[in-house]
Amino acid sequence: MTGTGIIAIAAAISAFTGIGAGIGISLATGKAVEGIARQPEAAGSIRTSLLLGAALAEATAIYGLVVALVLVFLKMG
Amino acid sequence: MGEKLTHAMEPHNVFTMNLFGLKIPVSDLVVTMWVIMAVMIILAVFLTRKLTLIPNKRQNIAEIVVEFINNMVKDAIGPHYWKAFAPYLGTVILFLIFANTVSIFNIIPGGEEGFKLRPPTRNINVTLCLAVMSICVVIYAGIRYKGVGGWLKSFAKPTPVMLPFNILDYLIKPASLALRLFGNILGAFIVMELIYMALPVFAPAFLSLYFDLFDGILQAYVFMFLTSIYISEALE
Repeated sequence: MTGTGIIAIAAAISAFTGIGAGIGISLATGKAVEGIARQPEAAGSIRTSLLLGAALAEATAIYGLVVALVLVFLKMG
Repeated sequence: MGEKLTHAMEPHNVFTMNLFGLKIPVSDLVVTMWVIMAVMIILAVFLTRKLTLIPNKRQNIAEIVVEFINNMVKDAIGPHYWKAFAPYLGTVILFLIFANTVSIFNIIPGGEEGFKLRPPTRNINVTLCLAVMSICVVIYAGIRYKGVGGWLKSFAKPTPVMLPFNILDYLIKPASLALRLFGNILGAFIVMELIYMALPVFAPAFLSLYFDLFDGILQAYVFMFLTSIYISEALE
């Protein structure tokens, strides 16, 4: 196996960070929908905290993306 | 294809500025930001000319924007201190909205080699600079409203054991702000470039709604929102 192939596989592995972000955001959204269904008048504040939580959970996936991009574009040349 | 993508991603020099014998290369990121600044300044002057008590059409737009920003900052920072931070946060969100969505304003056909408006936030230096500015505002908020002593004491809260983590906080916060914005915009930018290469006819019109408009505006909002959360943390 060449070095390029190993780098490609490493970049593919770093894309697995999406799993965690997906589970996290889906859990948060599910709970937020439950909360809004139970208490529709609190929808505004629930939406704000959901957006913040989703942004923080998404960050891990973005770090994976950045690592994959660095591997592909800087190491492969 | 990879070369084309790398060429689109990387900043390239537009011209070299000659300042007192120093040769300063000016990249297309800087030129794009100049264009955005010019548009924002012209819009600001145009929308706020001849302010009256009963707003006309132009003044209504300006009032909607300012009130939207003020309400968001008031919600996040609280009713006491929001006035000091609303101008900075509003400037950041407006600049980021323009910067992230600038690629949809690419109306001048420039061909392959010509100058193209591409989001300047696809480069990590731009986002890191914005994040460092934000953390400077956070530190300023802590010192301004709690005094130097109170700000230094806040490092040892809730217990002195937390001191290294509180110091690390000031490094991790700007890094995460910068990487989040950079990663999102670059990711969306690469996906759009790939779509332009693969299906240049019909698909970009709809997909650009999500990748350019929605993602760009959401990330601008998230950046501003997180900055205001950090400021309100520093004020506690």
